[in-house]
Amino acid sequence: MTEGMGIGPIEIVSMALIGSGVIFFAGAVAGILRFPDYYTRIHAAGKGDTLSTLLIALGFAVYNLGDLSFHNILTSIKILMICVFIFITGPTTTHVLMEAGYALGFKHWKKDGDQEEEEP
Amino acid sequence: MKTIGLLSVLFTGILLMIAVVDFPDWGDPHSPANSYLSTHYIEDVEEETAVPNMVTAVLADYRAFDTMLETSVVFVAGIAIFAILRSIDGTSLAGTTRRLQRRGRSKKEKRKGQGRNRRDEMVAAAEREAAKPDLIVQTTVRLLMPTIQLFALYVIAHGHHSPGGGFQGGVILAAGLILVAMSFGLENTLAQVPEKLSLQLGNLGVLIFAGTGVLCLLLGANFLDYHVLAAIYPATDEIMARSHSMLVVEIGVGFTVMSMLYLIYANLSSHGDLKKGL
Repeated sequence: MTEGMGIGPIEIVSMALIGSGVIFFAGAVAGILRFPDYYTRIHAAGKGDTLSTLLIALGFAVYNLGDLSFHNILTSIKILMICVFIFITGPTTTHVLMEAGYALGFKHWKKDGDQEEEEP
Repeated sequence: MKTIGLLSVLFTGILLMIAVVDFPDWGDPHSPANSYLSTHYIEDVEEETAVPNMVTAVLADYRAFDTMLETSVVFVAGIAIFAILRSIDGTSLAGTTRRLQRRGRSKKEKRKGQGRNRRDEMVAAAEREAAKPDLIVQTTVRLLMPTIQLFALYVIAHGHHSPGGGFQGGVILAAGLILVAMSFGLENTLAQVPEKLSLQLGNLGVLIFAGTGVLCLLLGANFLDYHVLAAIYPATDEIMARSHSMLVVEIGVGFTVMSMLYLIYANLSSHGDLKKGL
């Protein structure tokens, strides 16, 4: 932060939201890289994508309200509408991918390790 | 015959290469494009057309010829794919592709043995699964379709003030239709938006664009010189007439892009028989 910009409560809230969004994104990336099979990887990607995009967009909306005017409120409402859009489409995409994988017959991961070779 | 073709290609290529030498240098501030035209656009667009977005103004007014023919290119691409792929009686191309696929597959099976077969079974199972209606996907599409279409109309109508316009809005509209075709089945979508209707809309779009130009001609100005249209629109001056005509033209572009992309998807995804999509 430079000297001219004080950190008010709104900045703190938006920083917390965006920061947690980035942390969840990092978790999703780790999940995609580390999880053992198709289903768990899609699970990590879908969950992380939806929640962290939501958090980051919310952070933007809150930060935008720091300087309150009709125009900024309108922009924040638009960002909230993007949130709603992501909230609906993200899980649906995950669902479709899961179903496609199941229909293609990808095998589940099992802990004892005698899983068949059926990686995408 | 091959030699003649090669010679003509070489000749044209050499001509083009010679022409490249005559281009102004890269980033030359005294080149014709940089010396007066760009400045004119940047400084005078809003005065002359009342459109703040100068990209839209240049695209739909100053360079309207170019945009009209671009729209025609989209139209021709759609018609070409229609002409190549579409099989009215279901025997010609769709049958041929499938026969070819089957023949290729049987040869491969002989060579590769069992692995290929297993893969095909999996794909067939996935296709069967995909053919089932999915409640979750359909509900989501039901929820989203009005939003998508409204946003597309916004993009078309708001191209004067923000990034957007006929091409972008038309693509969003077509994406909405394709989404419906993927989740509800191509046949159901074609029952709602028939092939004939989309062909007509594609024609109508080009007709609106070219018709605006012809209207300008009839009123005594150059082709696509919009300012004379103030005589037709109620309560406008010559500057606002240019702005409004851009909207009319963008609507035409939107029609063509939407219907042609939808038609291309329908033909490509069903091998031209419009029976079963992806």
